[in-house]
Amino acid sequence: MSSRHRIRVTVNGRAYERDVQGRRLLVDFLRHDLGLYGTHVGCEQGVCGACTVLLDGQVVKSCLMLAPQADGRTLTTVEGLAGRGELHPVQEAFREAHGLQCGYCTPGFLLSAVALADRGVVLEGKSLRAELAGNLCRCTGYQNIVEAVERYLRQTVGSRRG
Amino acid sequence: MDKLPWVGVSVKRKEDERLLRGAGRFLDDLDDTVALHAAIGRCPYPHARIRGIDPGGALEMAGVEAVLLGRDVVARTEPTNVLRPFPGAATTAYYAMAHPVARYEGEPVVAVAARDRYEAEDALERIAIDWEPLPHVVDAEEALRSGSPLLFDQVPSNLLAASTVKAGDPDAAFRQAAAVVKGKLRINRVTGLPIETRGLLARYSDQTRTLEVWSSTQTPHLVRAQLAHVLRMAESDIRVIAPDVGGGFGIKMCVYPEDVVVCLLAIDIGRPVKWVEDRVEHFRGCTHAREAVHELELAGSADGTLTALRDRYVIDAGAYNSPFGPPMLTNLMLPGPYRLRDGEIERRVALTNKVPVGPYRGYGQPESNFVREVLLDRLARKLGQDPADLRRKNLLRPDELPFQNLTGATYDSGDYVRCLDLALSRVGYDEVRAGQAAWRREHRYVGVGVSCYAEFTGYPSSAFLGRTGAGFGAYESVTIRMDRAGRAAIYTGVSTFGQGMETTFAQVCASSLGLEPADITIYGGDSRGTPYSVGGFASRTMIAGAGAIATATGEIRAKMLRLAGHLLGVAPEHLEVAAGVVRRTDDPSVQLSIREVSEAAFLGHRLPPGDDPGLEATAYHDPPASAFGYGSVAARVEVDPRSGAFDLQRYVLVHDCGTQVNPMIVEGQIHGGIAQGLAAALFEELQYDRDTGQLVNGTLVDYFAPSAADLPRFELDHLETPAPATSLGVKGVGEGGTIGAAAAVANAIGDALAPFGVELDRLPITAESVWRALEAARSRPAAAVN
Ligand code: FES
Ligand code: FES
Repeated sequence: MSSRHRIRVTVNGRAYERDVQGRRLLVDFLRHDLGLYGTHVGCEQGVCGACTVLLDGQVVKSCLMLAPQADGRTLTTVEGLAGRGELHPVQEAFREAHGLQCGYCTPGFLLSAVALADRGVVLEGKSLRAELAGNLCRCTGYQNIVEAVERYLRQTVGSRRG
Repeated sequence: MDKLPWVGVSVKRKEDERLLRGAGRFLDDLDDTVALHAAIGRCPYPHARIRGIDPGGALEMAGVEAVLLGRDVVARTEPTNVLRPFPGAATTAYYAMAHPVARYEGEPVVAVAARDRYEAEDALERIAIDWEPLPHVVDAEEALRSGSPLLFDQVPSNLLAASTVKAGDPDAAFRQAAAVVKGKLRINRVTGLPIETRGLLARYSDQTRTLEVWSSTQTPHLVRAQLAHVLRMAESDIRVIAPDVGGGFGIKMCVYPEDVVVCLLAIDIGRPVKWVEDRVEHFRGCTHAREAVHELELAGSADGTLTALRDRYVIDAGAYNSPFGPPMLTNLMLPGPYRLRDGEIERRVALTNKVPVGPYRGYGQPESNFVREVLLDRLARKLGQDPADLRRKNLLRPDELPFQNLTGATYDSGDYVRCLDLALSRVGYDEVRAGQAAWRREHRYVGVGVSCYAEFTGYPSSAFLGRTGAGFGAYESVTIRMDRAGRAAIYTGVSTFGQGMETTFAQVCASSLGLEPADITIYGGDSRGTPYSVGGFASRTMIAGAGAIATATGEIRAKMLRLAGHLLGVAPEHLEVAAGVVRRTDDPSVQLSIREVSEAAFLGHRLPPGDDPGLEATAYHDPPASAFGYGSVAARVEVDPRSGAFDLQRYVLVHDCGTQVNPMIVEGQIHGGIAQGLAAALFEELQYDRDTGQLVNGTLVDYFAPSAADLPRFELDHLETPAPATSLGVKGVGEGGTIGAAAAVANAIGDALAPFGVELDRLPITAESVWRALEAARSRPAAAVN
């Protein structure tokens, strides 16, 4: 039916070694094999961004990759942002700005925002909205998400520069 | 207690911490290691008969545990019951699987349970079905013409239901009118599109013959009632639990066919079965909404008084009457917030070979708002008046409220004119008017459009729903239990789907019990251990829920006072509850902490005579009337008349939802509503191909749900007129944002392009549709230009 592969990945700082089918989606692997349910599925077509994770620091949609393609790579999911400690600044910004309602899209937006901060530019308004177009939210109308990300970028990138 | 310290405060949400950490638990996060996974085979045709079906190939596959066929479903279950019937509606037996005739592309016809979803989908491909395609119809007006293919033998001419309401003397008003405008307006078929699709995990115990169902639903108690009916089981043998729900918007209400299928598989196999809808299924499995064609006429007198309305419209219901069916509020809210007494409305509901429609945020109100407000602008133009002035003249004034509109809704309170004026000044209406002529000379087409609405929120009592034949009541309920540490737990049948209920319920409860929201835990969405609940929809949760919390906490508070009085040796009437303590009103130093009082209630060692241990109460609240919110939208656009492309530059909404329990959450609800209103107005449309009957854009790649880049910043303001009838004076707020969006933008574009005499008459409004309207205007005789 489908070949099996042995893969090694580091997710949120922890190393995993697993056997997977060749056709296993990366998002299914993260969720149902590793139990990291914070990464969500909204379309399996690369449109909604609910499955967004960081692969070697880059934003990827984990529904568009097969698990074996992540072999030897490093991943960050929403569970890796704060661990068990205090909320990460991006999470704090979303909470403060009421940037989430049902919370289903939220992990994807958080990781997209972290990747934006890593680029080191402070974006706002329309240019920020354009950068966030890879994540869909159906609850918030985006306004408070944009505000949360603006707040987070100002703090994080601003202070790194200063 | 008259002072409610936590009501009106923008408390940060209790839900957020777990959701932000990725620790929310949504349906597909419930991994049961022994669960099987279902995949559902669907009809590829809009209308077809199954001549034969051979599941042999699937059953031979490793990992496949069961195949379920339509004929078994029809033999073993009842059709899904309709909870919100149209008076006199024909019966459309809606079974969980089609047998032997399927009536829309995507209707479930077979299901497989296997070790995992990948294998289950492999197995579906091995099931051979011999189809006989039948003639189909996917246009509502066409479906009602004689000679059109019929969906059900027993429903003549595909007419599910028809009704007419008439008030006053519209015929005379039209005869005497100085101006009459008419339009045929088309409203697009869209869907709510929660980012989490639907799903179910069902477990059946052979020993106890009970069924446990986890469902991504807004209405756990109604799902239980419906499953009991459809599966012919006792309600007490079914438990329905909603985990965190990833958005609802009316889409996740009641039982869907797939739910019944998954339960049957779980019962047959005796192992848990899970099914999570994929997005392509979602477009064919979840209810669609809004599609309708209106032929509306408005009559006005020379001074700009709106005198009568006449509408004849068809709703496209799809292939079956779904549990909540086509929208009910179109008629009710068609007259809008205006002084309008004469009118006649004919509603026809047509069956077509398309996905059934159901409720979606607004439930008929965005539809009626669009058609009325667009025609009001045409009336203003015909009478040579400013559209804002015409509205201001006809809007009901505060001293005219309460006012019963011509379809029977009683608007309760508010200041509609002030609301409009605030929106106009915020958007810079006068400046646009003043600048327009000069801009036009530079070939810049800037326009401003408004739309006003009154909004039906909550239901006016269970008795009202009973008279309409509904299968549920208007109430909500809670059980509140204090623990020995002085904290409170609220048990509610309402689930959490983004509306912030955990936070707002905690605010109301904490206010009444002298606690802080952090002291309150919400256990929601589980039919076991919660009193009967209706669920989260119709902007009613806070209206009904706040009343139930007020009653239950009132009982608990009274008992706390009796207990503390007994312990302190003070008469209860000299005590009060405040910030963590029960104390003497005239000497606050005489006090007990709520913790001590709760401990005493738990121990039961020293109770006042006649009192039982414990601090707990269950209360139901049935609202005595609906509450009517209202609002005005003002939008500013600039249009390029060569391409039809337009830029939505400003979007202002001023609204009134009465008392706001949590202004931050209210604003979030409004934002989300506006976004969905604009999504349906400007981007989305589920398109069916007339010849093949196929849904041609049923994937997220092809259906243009807007991203952050597609929407403008929304500018909000509000008035706060407490609703006279509801607990705390709250009016619902979940849906209002959707209502005025389409008309405001359409009117702004019409205003910008007034020199061309453009009339927009269909949704969505896109650059292409604007361009087509420009072309149509150019080819019309010049009379259209005033
Ligand atoms: S699930 Fe990956 S983009 Fe939607
Ligand atoms: S918060 Fe619900 S989809 Fe974004």
